[in-house]
Amino acid sequence: MDGGTFNAWRLTALTPLPAWALALLGVAALASIALAWRGLAGEPRRARKAALVALRALAALLALALLAEPALELLQTARVRNRFAVLVDASRSMAFPLEPGGPSRAAAAGAFLRDHRAELERLADRVDLEWYGFGGEVAPVDPAQAVRGLEPAAGRTDLLGALEAVTSGAGASSRRLAGALVVSDGADNAALADGLSGATRARLRALGVPVSAVAVGRSAPRDLAVERVAVDDFAFVRNTVTVEATLRARGLEAQDVRVVLRREGAVVAQATVRLEPGKERYSVPLSFAPDQTGTFVFTLAAPVLPGEAVTENNQRSFVLRVIRDRVRVLMVAGRPSWDVRFLRGLLKQDPNVDLVSFFILRTNADQPGPQEDLSLIPFPVGEIFGEQLRTFDAVLFVDFAYGPYRGLEIDRYLPNLRDYVRGGGALAMVGGEQSFGDGRYGQTPLAEVLPVAPLDGTSEAEGEFRPRLTAEGKRHPVTALAPGEGPNEAAWASLPPVTAVNLTRALPAGAGASVLLEAPAVSVGGRAAPLVAVREVGQGRTLAVATDATWRWGFLAAEGGQGNRAYLRFWNGALRWLVRDPSLGPLQVEPDAPSVEPGAPVGLTVTARGPDWGPAAGKKVSADLVSEDGRTVAHGEAVAGEDGTARIELVPPGPGAYRVVSRAEGVADPASAAVAVRGAGPEDADAAPRPELLQAVSEATGGAYSALPGGDLPDLALADPEVVEIGRRKAVPIWDRWWTLAGLAAVLTAEWVLRRRWGYW
Amino acid sequence: MPRPSRPTSRRRFLQGAAAAAVAAALPRGARALTPDAMLQIGHVQHGGNWNPRPTALRRLGWELGRRTSIEPAADAAPVRLDRPGLHRHPMLYLAGSGGLPPFSEAERAALRRHLMYGGFLLVDSADASDGAGFDAAVRRELAQVLPASPLQPVAREHVLHKTFYLLDRQGGRVLVKPWLEAQAIDGRLAVVYSQNDLGGAWARSELGDWEYPCTPGGEAQREAAFRAGVNLAMYALCTDYKDDAVHLPFILRRRS
Repeated sequence: MDGGTFNAWRLTALTPLPAWALALLGVAALASIALAWRGLAGEPRRARKAALVALRALAALLALALLAEPALELLQTARVRNRFAVLVDASRSMAFPLEPGGPSRAAAAGAFLRDHRAELERLADRVDLEWYGFGGEVAPVDPAQAVRGLEPAAGRTDLLGALEAVTSGAGASSRRLAGALVVSDGADNAALADGLSGATRARLRALGVPVSAVAVGRSAPRDLAVERVAVDDFAFVRNTVTVEATLRARGLEAQDVRVVLRREGAVVAQATVRLEPGKERYSVPLSFAPDQTGTFVFTLAAPVLPGEAVTENNQRSFVLRVIRDRVRVLMVAGRPSWDVRFLRGLLKQDPNVDLVSFFILRTNADQPGPQEDLSLIPFPVGEIFGEQLRTFDAVLFVDFAYGPYRGLEIDRYLPNLRDYVRGGGALAMVGGEQSFGDGRYGQTPLAEVLPVAPLDGTSEAEGEFRPRLTAEGKRHPVTALAPGEGPNEAAWASLPPVTAVNLTRALPAGAGASVLLEAPAVSVGGRAAPLVAVREVGQGRTLAVATDATWRWGFLAAEGGQGNRAYLRFWNGALRWLVRDPSLGPLQVEPDAPSVEPGAPVGLTVTARGPDWGPAAGKKVSADLVSEDGRTVAHGEAVAGEDGTARIELVPPGPGAYRVVSRAEGVADPASAAVAVRGAGPEDADAAPRPELLQAVSEATGGAYSALPGGDLPDLALADPEVVEIGRRKAVPIWDRWWTLAGLAAVLTAEWVLRRRWGYW
Repeated sequence: MPRPSRPTSRRRFLQGAAAAAVAAALPRGARALTPDAMLQIGHVQHGGNWNPRPTALRRLGWELGRRTSIEPAADAAPVRLDRPGLHRHPMLYLAGSGGLPPFSEAERAALRRHLMYGGFLLVDSADASDGAGFDAAVRRELAQVLPASPLQPVAREHVLHKTFYLLDRQGGRVLVKPWLEAQAIDGRLAVVYSQNDLGGAWARSELGDWEYPCTPGGEAQREAAFRAGVNLAMYALCTDYKDDAVHLPFILRRRS
C-alpha cells in the first residue's frame, strides 16, 4: 500500500448499501453456514465435517466482504503545538514590598522572570509561550516588559477569572492550553477572596490545566487598617446606633490606638484599642445617638502609624440614613365619634406612629355620677399644649372646640400652637359640629395658620356631597389615591359621599394655601366649599378636612366591596405630608450608590415638582458636591425632562465624605443627600500576600509551587499535548483486488469438489 | 346649604330645658348633629324574636346623652344584615328571646365583613337561657361568622371595664354569667355577648316605670347594666383609648 505523505490509516466500508441491508446479508451468510452444518449431521468423520463447514464459512465471509466494499482510508495527521501561559500579577497590591523594607513585589516578580526567562523559553520546543498581565482584566504583555516588572496599576485581583479567560482562548487562539504559570502575591479580592471553596475548586478543576504558581511575598507588611465597618443602612434619630468596626493590625508593636468616628467633620464617637503582638483583628464597637434626621456620611478613622505600608486603608466612610423612629402624633377629639374612632384605629395600627390621644368623654353638662367610679382623667392642658407640644410631630384636632372648656383655658395656649406650627410643626383640623366656624376658630391665633378661613358662626351643611378634586388636588400627594390623574379621579368618584361639610372659605392666593378637594354642591361666597385644604406656613404645615365623615370612605366603602384602601391612603398620605416625610418633598436628589470607588464619578438623579405638584419639566436643576469643610468642590447643571427628572454626574476631587446639595428653579428648599468616596479600593485595603492561596490553587490543579523570596522556578507541569488534526485523506478500496474474487471462486470450487468426492449431493 | 332645624325629640327637649337654665354659663347652645356623626345603633332584625325589649336602646341612648359627651341618635335604626346600608351603623345590637333560624350565607358574609373592617356587635340574650334557646342559637351563628375567633370570657382587667366607668360587677335583668364573652379580631373586641339581658334592665315604659325587676342585685344591678352599656358604647367609639399610657397613673390611683 502506497501511503505517500499519509502517516495513518483506518478501515472503512465504501458500500452504498444501507446498514440494514448489510445486516440482512450477514444473516443470510450465517444461515448458509448453518445449512452446511445441518447437511453434515450424519458425517462421522470430524475432519471432513470441519473442512466443509470451514470452507462454507470462508466463502460466506468473502462474499460479505465483496458486498461491503471494504476500503483503507489513508490519513494525513499533524501534532499541534499547545499554548503555555505565563500570568504576571499587575494589581496595585504588587506595589507593596516583598518583605518589610524590601523591593516591591512587582520588581521582585520582574527579577524572577528575568532570571528564569531562558528556562521558560526552553519550553518553546514543546509549547508556544504566551505572556499575560492580569488584575481585574487579563491582557497580553511583551515578555521584555514582563521581565522588567509590570506596573502595579489594576484596582482588582481576579486570579480565577484570568485563568478562565486565558484557558478559553483570550489570546485569540482556539488551541489548547497545556499549562500556566502564575506569578502573583495571591492577594485575590474576587472569587478567591475567601480562599478555595467547593465551587471555586470545581471551577479550577474544570480548567483542565495544571496551574503552577510562584508566590511573591511571604510576610505581611506593617499595616493598620479599618478592614470592615458593619452598620445598618438607616438609624433612628435620638436612638443609639452602634457601628461595629473591624480593625486589622499587622507587624505592629503593643500600643494604644484611638479610633474616631466623625459625621462630616464633627466627632460623634471614639474608642481606644490596645494592640497586642500576635493578634491581628480587633472588633471596635462605637455608639452614638444621631440628633437630626437626614442622610449623612460618617468616616471611621484609625491613626496612621510610622512605617505603615498603606495609609489609605486607615479610614473608611459610609453613608447612614437617619430617620424618625416614630412620628409622634397628638390627637385631641371633642367627643367620641365614628370619624375619630376610625382615624385613631388607623394611627394606632401604624407601627411608625406614636399616638397620644385625648377624647373629651364628658362635658360639664353631663351627669355621670360619682367621680371615683369613673376612669376619666383631667385633661393636662398645660402639660400638653405648653411643655410637651414641641415633642409632637403633628397635632390633630378632631371635632374639637377650645371654647366649652373655658375653665381649662385652652385659648391661652392657642398662640403657642400657632408658633409651634410656624416653627416647623404640623396641625390638622378635622371637621365636625364643634370645629371650624362652629368652634369660632376665626377669632383665635390659629386662624393665622389654618389653610381655610373658618367663617365663625357658620354651621355645617348637611346632605350627601360628592367631593371633587381641584387642579392642585389632582397632583398633590395628600389626595393621591391612585397613581395617574385618571385613576385618581376615578378613585375619588367611587367613594361614598360625605354627609356634612363645615362651611369655610378658601384663602386668597398668596397665603400659601391650596384647596385640594371641594364640595361642588355646597357654595360659600359663590365658590365650592373647601373639603380638604393644605397650607405651608412658616416652617410648618397645616391641613384642614372640613367634614367629619371621612370614615365613610373606609367603612362604608368596604360594604360596597371596595375595601378601605382609599381611606388608609388618604390619611397616611396626609400624615406623611404633614410631617414632611422626605419622600414627599418637591425636590429629591438620589445618588446612584451611597459610596463610589476612588476616581469614579458620582451619578445623581434629581426629581423636581412644580408648585402644582406636577413634574417640573424643562426647569433648570443643579447639584453641588460640598466637602466636609463646606467648600463646593464640583457643580453640575441639567434641565429636567418630561417626567421632571434630570441626571447629573459630578466628579469628586478625592476620597472623603461629601454632601450633595441640589436646587431647582422655582423650588425654595434645596434637597440634600450624602455620598462617600472610598479612600481605599479592595486592592489597597489589605496589603498582606497570600502564598497559601497560590499553593492551594497549584495543588488543586496538579501544578507545581514555589515562593519568593528564595524560591526557584518550579518543575512546570504540562497537560497531555496529544491533539491530532486531519489534513488530507484518501480511501483505497480492497474489494476490487483480483485475489479477492479469485479466492471466493477457489473456495467455492474446493467445497464443490470435496462434496462430490465425499458423496454429498 | 345650611342645615334645616330638626324636629324636637324628648331628649332635645330635656336638654333644651337644661341649657336654658345654664345658658349664661355655656358658650353656645347644644346643636343637633348629622345622623352620621351621632351614635345610632343598628338594631339587627333576624328571623326570631329580634326585639324583645323595644324601649331598651332608646333608654340607653338617653343615658349616654345624659352621662357622656357621646351624642346618641333619638332611636336605634333597624337593619337587616343582607340589606345595603349595614355599614352606616358601625355599632350593631343583636338581641333575642328564644331560638332563631340560621342566618343565610349572605347574612353571615355581610356581618363578617362589617366586623372585619372595624364594626362592633353587642349581642344581648333576653331569655336568660344557657345552653338552649337564644344562647344556643346565637353561639352557633357567632361561631360561623368568626370561626377563627371563638367566644372567650372578657378578663376583669380588660379595657372594656374602664372605658368610662370603672366596672367591677356585671349588670343586667338577671345574672346568668358574672362575666361577658367576646370575639376579638387583632386584639380588638368585635363581638361582645351578654347572657344577662342588659336590654331588660335598660327597658323603661313611656310612663317612666322600669319594665322588669333586676334580680338578684336589684337597682344596683340595673345601674351596673347602664354603666356596662355606657362602657360598651364608649368601647365601640374609642376602643382601647383608656389603655393609653397617659391614663394608667390616674386609674391606678383611683382604684387603690
